[in-house]
Amino acid sequence: MSAEKRRKIEPSEIRPAPRPAGLVLDAQLHLLDRQVLDVDGVPVTTVDDLELSGPAPDEPIPEGAAPPSITALLTGPVLGTRIFGGRPPSNRLIRIPWDVVSGVDTVITVGVRSDSLEASWVERWLRNHVIGRIPGGSHDPD
Amino acid sequence: MKRLLGVALGILTAIGGFVDIGDLVTNAVVGSRFGLSLAWVVVVGVVGICLFANMSGRVAAVSGRATFEVIRERMGPRAGLANLAASFLINLMTVTAEIGGIALALQLASGVAYLLWVPVALLAVWLVIWRVKFKIMENVTGLLGLSLIVFAVALFLLKPDWGVLASQAFAPSVSQEEGPGVYWYFAIALFGAAMTPYEVFFFSSGAVEERWKVKDLMQARMNVLLGFPLGGFLSVAIAACAAVVLLPAGISVTTLSQVALPVAQAGGQLALAVLILGVVAATFGAALETTLSSGYTLAQFFGWSWGKFRRPAQAARFHMSMIVVLLAGAAVLATGVDPILVTEYSVVFSAIALPLTYLPILIVANDPQYMGEHVNNRAVNIAGLVYLVIILAASLAAIPLMIVTGAGA
Repeated sequence: MSAEKRRKIEPSEIRPAPRPAGLVLDAQLHLLDRQVLDVDGVPVTTVDDLELSGPAPDEPIPEGAAPPSITALLTGPVLGTRIFGGRPPSNRLIRIPWDVVSGVDTVITVGVRSDSLEASWVERWLRNHVIGRIPGGSHDPD
Repeated sequence: MKRLLGVALGILTAIGGFVDIGDLVTNAVVGSRFGLSLAWVVVVGVVGICLFANMSGRVAAVSGRATFEVIRERMGPRAGLANLAASFLINLMTVTAEIGGIALALQLASGVAYLLWVPVALLAVWLVIWRVKFKIMENVTGLLGLSLIVFAVALFLLKPDWGVLASQAFAPSVSQEEGPGVYWYFAIALFGAAMTPYEVFFFSSGAVEERWKVKDLMQARMNVLLGFPLGGFLSVAIAACAAVVLLPAGISVTTLSQVALPVAQAGGQLALAVLILGVVAATFGAALETTLSSGYTLAQFFGWSWGKFRRPAQAARFHMSMIVVLLAGAAVLATGVDPILVTEYSVVFSAIALPLTYLPILIVANDPQYMGEHVNNRAVNIAGLVYLVIILAASLAAIPLMIVTGAGA
């Protein structure tokens, strides 16, 4: 860190955040642990964590920085870090880019097919290597 | 007319589907040791399962969400995972007990050792899960399970002293040689057998499988409110048969053939054959339900695609996990552990885990974001809270009582 003296911000100087327009989402209440459905209504995964833009938690925030925004829904082993603590290396994260999210209700919908997302790789692997190979696996039940 | 048939079918399958290996064994054990003095527990359990099955069915029909999705959303990942681990282990134990039950019933019919029947039962259960439509699966096992009415018929044929049975049931007393600790231990076991948590997972996921909407709720309510109490009546008949034949003879139930003894004595070969058919159907149906429930809970916690309405390849992780569960259950049985013993423990552990299932349902059934105008009314909430207290008391008392009584020995 540089030796440059940083200006201390008095609480009185902080203006209240502007009232956001539109729907207010609580990350904990409306996003985390919600079911994600694809464009056809097929379950993809559950939201295990969120990825935010901006500096890492222990880095100083430069003055005038843009407010953080959600860049991706995370899934996979990252769930373990929410339960047991720690932080996974960023190359191990499985991301669903926020750009593909098309709706947030009691479930989160994405506007693409589940099979096109990295989040469904275990499902596709098991389908192609195990379940799809057992006779009857790709027929409707009768 | 078609609608009426649908209602009748639903009620009949609910009766046949209510009894599983846990109810069969626990009721016979209790009847042979305490007569009907624990029949009140069945009544309390049946009212409870009606209340909460209705609630979870309503949550599923209104919000389209099954129980375990909601458990994780509302409890968060940490408590949700702990809940999943407990529910899954008990489910696995129940799957093991049910497959053991099918094998024991087939042994009773054929004389071939039950361990040889385990792979057959396993394969049959898996094939049905793999290929048969949800609705057909439910109806066939439920209707065949109705053969267990033979217990009620046998009770009449035994010409018991009804006054004695009634006084046992309505003025319960603990006999000298058993003691209050054992009495309450078996009360908890019986409560766990009637209220098994898998029924709730299965019921709510089944509502999603069958695409219930709000307009179907009336029929679902009738199935539950008529079917489960009549199933409970069958449970009491099992206990009563044991109370009439086994209690005076001093036989305490440790095998399935002892459960069947009163029926064979009252109705001979034919009744025994009907009984075996009923036991196979009931345990087979319950094996399907518990195996599916373990798949449902896992898939719903992790957000996988699930359901028998999809092709297996479209729900690959769901089907894979059920295959693993079935193999694990068979592996436990292959060690030679007594399935009746597994059953006796599984119902007590079910009772211990009850609050984990029932508290989140009660919370979500009151959440307008999911339920809109269909949130619980005041009467249901009061009943739900009363039951929560009973469930908590049973759950907390179970392990101390298990230690003190040496698991009811």
